[in-house]
Amino acid sequence: MGKNYAKLGEYNTLELMAVCGARAIKNGEVVFVGTGLPMIAAMLAKRTHAPRAKIVYEAGFIDSNAIDIALSIADSRLGYRASAAIGLIEALGLLLQGGHVDVGFVGAAQIDEYGNINTTYIGDFENPTVRLPGSGGGNDIVSSAKRIVIIMTHERRKMVKKLDYLTSPGFLTGPGAREKAGLLGGGPSLVVTNLCQMDFDPATKRIRLATLHPGVTLQQIMENTGFDLIIPEHLPLTEPPTYEELAILRAIDPQGIYIPRSTQT
Amino acid sequence: MVEAPVEDKRITLKEAARLIPDGAHIFWGGFGFQRPPMAFAHELVRQKKRNLTIYTCGSEMDIDILAGAYVVSRFELAFFAIEGIGLAPNIQRRIREGAIQIEDYTNLAMALRFLGGALGVPFMPLKSMLGTDLLAKTRFRQKKAEVVTCPFTGEKVVLVPSVHPDFSIVHASRVDREGNAQIDGIKGEDVEGARAGKKVIVLAEEIVDTEFIRSQPDQTAIPNIYVDYVVECPWGAYPMMVYNYYDYDLEHIRMYYQQCKTEEGWQKYCEEYITSVENHMEFLKKIGFERLLKLRAKRPFPY
Repeated sequence: MGKNYAKLGEYNTLELMAVCGARAIKNGEVVFVGTGLPMIAAMLAKRTHAPRAKIVYEAGFIDSNAIDIALSIADSRLGYRASAAIGLIEALGLLLQGGHVDVGFVGAAQIDEYGNINTTYIGDFENPTVRLPGSGGGNDIVSSAKRIVIIMTHERRKMVKKLDYLTSPGFLTGPGAREKAGLLGGGPSLVVTNLCQMDFDPATKRIRLATLHPGVTLQQIMENTGFDLIIPEHLPLTEPPTYEELAILRAIDPQGIYIPRSTQT
Repeated sequence: MVEAPVEDKRITLKEAARLIPDGAHIFWGGFGFQRPPMAFAHELVRQKKRNLTIYTCGSEMDIDILAGAYVVSRFELAFFAIEGIGLAPNIQRRIREGAIQIEDYTNLAMALRFLGGALGVPFMPLKSMLGTDLLAKTRFRQKKAEVVTCPFTGEKVVLVPSVHPDFSIVHASRVDREGNAQIDGIKGEDVEGARAGKKVIVLAEEIVDTEFIRSQPDQTAIPNIYVDYVVECPWGAYPMMVYNYYDYDLEHIRMYYQQCKTEEGWQKYCEEYITSVENHMEFLKKIGFERLLKLRAKRPFPY
């Protein structure tokens, strides 16, 4: 049976990004997420193809089955039908650093071509323009999860040749650098933006374009990327959301807290 | 027969804040929107404390208030913002002014630093921070972290210094007058943080009889041995949340965020809700009990 895909204009970009994130989760995996779009993506995965995915939040909620959208990573909403509510050392230390986390989702204010992430400062360290929230558990997750999905908006000032501050380690300076630094986890595997999905070239560990979102041109992506992006010969379109996925997604966030209902964005 | 005496460690919120001298180093409990010691932050502002150093993993409106009122000059932490809403407005401004400095770690690093302090060892090892500016860049500490080669396996690990602060401040769910505390829901880093301090003050939503604690000892997150003072402090995390007790007041948090984008707006908030209010009870009266009761947790939901 063929999938019933929604057409361009019937969904918005954030909905497509959430669907891409959800599809990156396999059934039965242990998933480390933050609030916002990653939380929505994980909730969607659990309600579609990955009902046995186990969602862990760094403050200590383990195998969460939240039914209401949380604002905070420590939000009591995430405790609903969780298998355990413990603490940070449990979630980030024993579970994550202990090697039990399959995939971690993070956001980024900036990334570079090796998938290194900045969430700390914009501008110079000695005289910053903006002080961002900092690592939180981000560095821990990116250091030690088996693979990482980065979800962010695609802008030239965010996809940069050189980060203002390296908060969380992608592939650092290239092949072998993570291992040399002593890192445990597998590093970034997927970047989902409002324009495309990108993965990492196995030989160079540099970011590579993987799929174009419907309606987006290669030109648009080049204009919005500040580093040299690897463009593969074969460039498929991102699989659009199905009507079923959209219906579930809209039921997850009925008030549009993280995904406003407009189909314009 | 001699009855075992039950020690009474209860003091008032005002008395508790008076114990904190200017310049003290403090473990600050709560995580994100969950159980921040908000009422204690207000009282520190009222008593015009200065030059504190705060150690925490991730805190939000509570430490933004402390930064806004110039109570804190240094933070060692992993994260601050008002999650789901925006950047912490007062902290942004105070950094630009040069009034506060932040030493950045990760959440796991900070939690382990508290565990190290509690264990009485000088450092803890971890596998985060490797290869990043969290290792390469230091704001004010002489030594922030160190990469070493494991003497047993030869692998690289990061050592972070333990924290053994002057005071630990934790807002718990329930406590008895001896200081045995229960914490519902996630504990964040409070279990380790409470054990790291030289003096420990536990605030709680309610004081329960010690028999309640002793009938279910497996539920005790912080035993009395660690605790020096107990403060009864209902709605002590408002406008943030306490698991099984109450939800956050999103309208109030949003109002705070919008208003504190300007210095004038923050000064107005601080005067209206903190400095012109005599104590925590008067603050609650100002918010209004009708509004508070609407936020009460609706079982079986913990919010």
